[in-house]
Amino acid sequence: MTQVNRIDGGQVDRSKEVKFTFNGKHMRGFAGDTLASALLANGQRLVGRSFKYHRPRGILTSGSEEPNALVQLRSGAHQEPNTRATVTELFDGLKATSQNHRGSLEYDLMAVTDLMSRFLGAGFYYKTFMWPKAFWEKLYEPVIRKSAGLGSLSMKDDPDSYDKGFIHCDLLVIGAGPSGLSAALAAGRSGARVILADEDFTPGGRLNAETLEVDGMSGADWAAQAIAELAAMDNVRIMTRTTIYGAYDHGIYGALERCTDHLASADGKPRQVLWRIYSKRAVLAAGSTERPIAFGNNDRPGIMLAGAVRTYVNRFGVTPGQEVAVFTNNDDGWRTASDLAGKGVNVTTIIDTRDAPAVCDVPGARHIRNAAVMDTVGRKGLKSVTLTSGQVIPADCLAVSGGWNPNVHLTCHQRGRPEWRDDLSAFVPGADLPAGMAVAGAANGSMTLAAALAEGRSVANEQIKDLGFTASRKAAPKAEDEPRDCAPMWHVGESKNRAWVDQQNDVTVKDIKQSYREGFRSVEHLKRYTTLGMATDQGKTANIPALAIMAECTGKSIPETGTTIFRPPYTPIPLGALGGRARGKDFRPYRLTPSHDWAEKNGATFVEVGNWLRAQWFARPGEQGWRDSVDREALMTRKSVGICDVTTLGKIDIQGKDAAEFLNVVYANAFGKLPVGKVRYGLMLREDGICYDDGTTARMSENHFVMTTTTANAVLVFRRMEFVRQCLCPDMDVHLISTTDGWAQFAVAGPNARNLLRKVVDEAHDISNEAFPFMACGEVTVCGGTPARLFRISFSGELAYEIAVPARFGNSMMGVLMQAGEEFDAVPYGTEALGVMRIEKGHAAGNELNGQTTALNLGLGGMVSAKKDCIGKTLSQRPEMNRDDAIRLVGFRPVDRSLKLIAGSHFINKDDEAKMANDQGWMTSVAYSPSLGHSIGLGFIKSGHERMGEIVRAVSPIHDTEMDVEIVSAHFIDPEGERLRA
Amino acid sequence: MPEFTLTSAPPLAGYDQSFDGVKLGAPVDLAIVSIALPLGGEVAAEKAIKSAYGAALPAPGKSVLSKDGLARLVRLSSDAAFVIFTHATPDAEPHVAEKLKGAAYTTDQTDVWSALEISGAKARTALERICPIDLHADAFADGDAARTSMEHLGTLIIRTGGDAFLLLSASSSAKSFLHAVETSIHNTA
Repeated sequence: MTQVNRIDGGQVDRSKEVKFTFNGKHMRGFAGDTLASALLANGQRLVGRSFKYHRPRGILTSGSEEPNALVQLRSGAHQEPNTRATVTELFDGLKATSQNHRGSLEYDLMAVTDLMSRFLGAGFYYKTFMWPKAFWEKLYEPVIRKSAGLGSLSMKDDPDSYDKGFIHCDLLVIGAGPSGLSAALAAGRSGARVILADEDFTPGGRLNAETLEVDGMSGADWAAQAIAELAAMDNVRIMTRTTIYGAYDHGIYGALERCTDHLASADGKPRQVLWRIYSKRAVLAAGSTERPIAFGNNDRPGIMLAGAVRTYVNRFGVTPGQEVAVFTNNDDGWRTASDLAGKGVNVTTIIDTRDAPAVCDVPGARHIRNAAVMDTVGRKGLKSVTLTSGQVIPADCLAVSGGWNPNVHLTCHQRGRPEWRDDLSAFVPGADLPAGMAVAGAANGSMTLAAALAEGRSVANEQIKDLGFTASRKAAPKAEDEPRDCAPMWHVGESKNRAWVDQQNDVTVKDIKQSYREGFRSVEHLKRYTTLGMATDQGKTANIPALAIMAECTGKSIPETGTTIFRPPYTPIPLGALGGRARGKDFRPYRLTPSHDWAEKNGATFVEVGNWLRAQWFARPGEQGWRDSVDREALMTRKSVGICDVTTLGKIDIQGKDAAEFLNVVYANAFGKLPVGKVRYGLMLREDGICYDDGTTARMSENHFVMTTTTANAVLVFRRMEFVRQCLCPDMDVHLISTTDGWAQFAVAGPNARNLLRKVVDEAHDISNEAFPFMACGEVTVCGGTPARLFRISFSGELAYEIAVPARFGNSMMGVLMQAGEEFDAVPYGTEALGVMRIEKGHAAGNELNGQTTALNLGLGGMVSAKKDCIGKTLSQRPEMNRDDAIRLVGFRPVDRSLKLIAGSHFINKDDEAKMANDQGWMTSVAYSPSLGHSIGLGFIKSGHERMGEIVRAVSPIHDTEMDVEIVSAHFIDPEGERLRA
Repeated sequence: MPEFTLTSAPPLAGYDQSFDGVKLGAPVDLAIVSIALPLGGEVAAEKAIKSAYGAALPAPGKSVLSKDGLARLVRLSSDAAFVIFTHATPDAEPHVAEKLKGAAYTTDQTDVWSALEISGAKARTALERICPIDLHADAFADGDAARTSMEHLGTLIIRTGGDAFLLLSASSSAKSFLHAVETSIHNTA
């Protein structure tokens, strides 16, 4: 296809021809074209099918407000639906296809819905699919979903990459049209750090689309010159292809930069970058958007906004038609006629709703006053228009102008409400702007060129003066103010056929009137009832006309009827960009234990514990499943010695003259008299008396303690202690710092633990039972002088130690411990065996410290010291929490030992019905005990400590199981604690 | 002779790469010791620091080099600071404690952190992708230090030269952090 509609002029680069396809048809355009301008150049008026009625649609606009020309770009996994052709930069090899049709674009089978439109008006779904209720999920919804939607997803993973970033500036200028450029120049010249962002690939805004002059040169040339001056400034950053999509708190703006969308291949670089811009001040220079007038069949391909028509002519050298008529209610529409005539395009008629003389001379065009278009002909492309007088005018393009609306969107992102200006018949930004924002140019209602240029400069100067910069004295660029008279006209009442207001959602004037009749009269209800203003264009061309039509129905003025405000994003943001790099294994960072490499080489299976990867078990050849490995690890540890990396437990270094007193505040039990060289188990309560965390704290010297916390709560406990230190105990000399990552810590457990450690700990340190008894701690050296810390504590119930070395030696230490343990048949064990052994020993862990349980429940009631105060003490004394029949942590075993206990089962007394009212408690943790040869469990049950030997039922309605279990001591192994003291 | 010997293997040991406009490397044997100023003993502690390092403890958010240029004092808050210096053996903390003669509390932080030094004309461009801090030369002066978060990882960033920054992040997640910085360099190359 040749470029039948390409005319002279424009800013496309005719030396660079670009090949592309549309629905498989080969077409050509030029560098600098958008897909829309190239399609029009090739005479392709029909571009897509409408959302609901599958009406043939063309291109309405030349910008991001486009409701109709949504296409699918690229192919395979790169396929992207619902992309606006009007902002798609043309590149060599671009493949575009139309969407939302069954069969071809020209002969869409789904167009049958248009014939049924009488029955499919606003609220159709809500009224029709109410009954029978059961049909919605199974029948109606799937069918509707199948026929709705526009483009289709590839259903493959997005192969592109995305990134995010943070940038800072004194002044953010949003939009590089006349007022934005003028603002950026003023601020840039003053030395302020400026970011100038524009969604287009060529900055200049309407300057590129008009024939108006600035400083004696064409607007486009002046824009290019301004950009060149700004680009030469170190303090100015120009971001093209970048949409500022949201205004957030504290001068933060969201921006989407499309880095490679205009290239055939991203070449491994991020396709788009989502920026967070921190600005001290901002100038919103977002311009304005033209609005259509609604009349019968006003959605035919070839009917376009007047400003867009002259954009295609002036900027792209493309005429959207060969026989053009203009329909306007304002002076600006006349400029389209005069610009087109100036380029030799045949403008036949200017239909002005006003009874006023011609605005300018348009050679060859007939001026029809006080008239309006009532209907049109031409299903797949406009053929003629019919006026209210009945007169028929042949035309293949109708340029419509209903006036211009300031783009106030970003001024509303923090609930700012626009205000109505009668002289413009439009909303302008209200007074309550986001902090730091000022508005200039057409976005502020300064609709003419000279006014926009002057306001851009003056607003920017005010903003930077506020920041202490001296404004440049250079005058604003010179231009003239063009005529802008506008007489409001929202829709043509005489139209009998459907007059489209929101072309993206197929909402008509009739739908709005029906919405009014059925009581959906507020703007918010109108939107939800008719879907007006939804989807990719967010009603940029539809909202104000719809509001005006609603005002007409209510008999009130437009501002009395209401206004829609906007929320981010200004234009659609791909989910990929919001996700950024956080995909797949990069979804979050990983923390590795110091012995990770060793574990990996020795067959570990890893489990995610928060961000940590921990060895879960170490499978050996021949083992049939995880249970084999875990049983073996637990048995071998209890038989001889096992080693487990426990680095993930939080470690907090506590120093200060008041450190002991501080611990008395944060722990329920007393630490003041803990001797140097000793470790103590500690229990923390929340303010409400519920248990928060537990761990051990070792006194290394008089004023130096080392605390361990659970893995899960390491950060929370540190943060809470820092709060206590700074806010509750500011008079205490106490200092906290995390050392979690600094020490590689290993549990060495089992009857041979001491024998193994004797081979590693340097001889100078006596670790005999007498010199280093249970709960001792101290600084030692290992392997010939490497500093280490040794704690004699046990989670497994065996004779056990935890030994810590600087993390850099951790991987090596694991190897050394295993090597030293060879003669004892030492075994590495993972978190599963760790869990089995702690259940066998009856130690509480996360399942028991679940944010609902008290010290009393855990059987640790005596630990809440009566002699001192601590966080949570007072509220832990509430009567309800100290009832005689409070739940208590005890052990459980199945009466039939072959059965497997189920965690989460609830306990019901033997003869009671299994219902909530009879709930006695629940099973918190279960494991198969290889030492006992059957399943064991821990759990809370009412007065459990007084019910030893009683048989109750463990019921799990989720698993549909029930079994008899016996209440036993939680200490299944070595209840007297002889092993750990050995 | 002990029967067993331990070998040191910090997570990023030996990492040193050059990219277009950016150099990224893990400093060798970088030791970090935290200093906490005792409540009521701040003046004495600051005096001890000054006599030990020949430089006064700077204001929070700032760092200075010691008089001999071998150590960097980074003030993190009113009562906390880091001293960062090259020291190969695992006794950095007693080394600093001895210099301060008990006037402040010290904790070894060497193995808690993993350091990366990023430098070069495009260092800021790369960091822009992960660092929320304004690193413009006027906004983040030589020696400035800030606690922030990059790719969800807590980070201490210190400007150590014209286009040079020291990044300290948790050692357990050092490899994720390195990946984040390398990705930023790749994405902006």
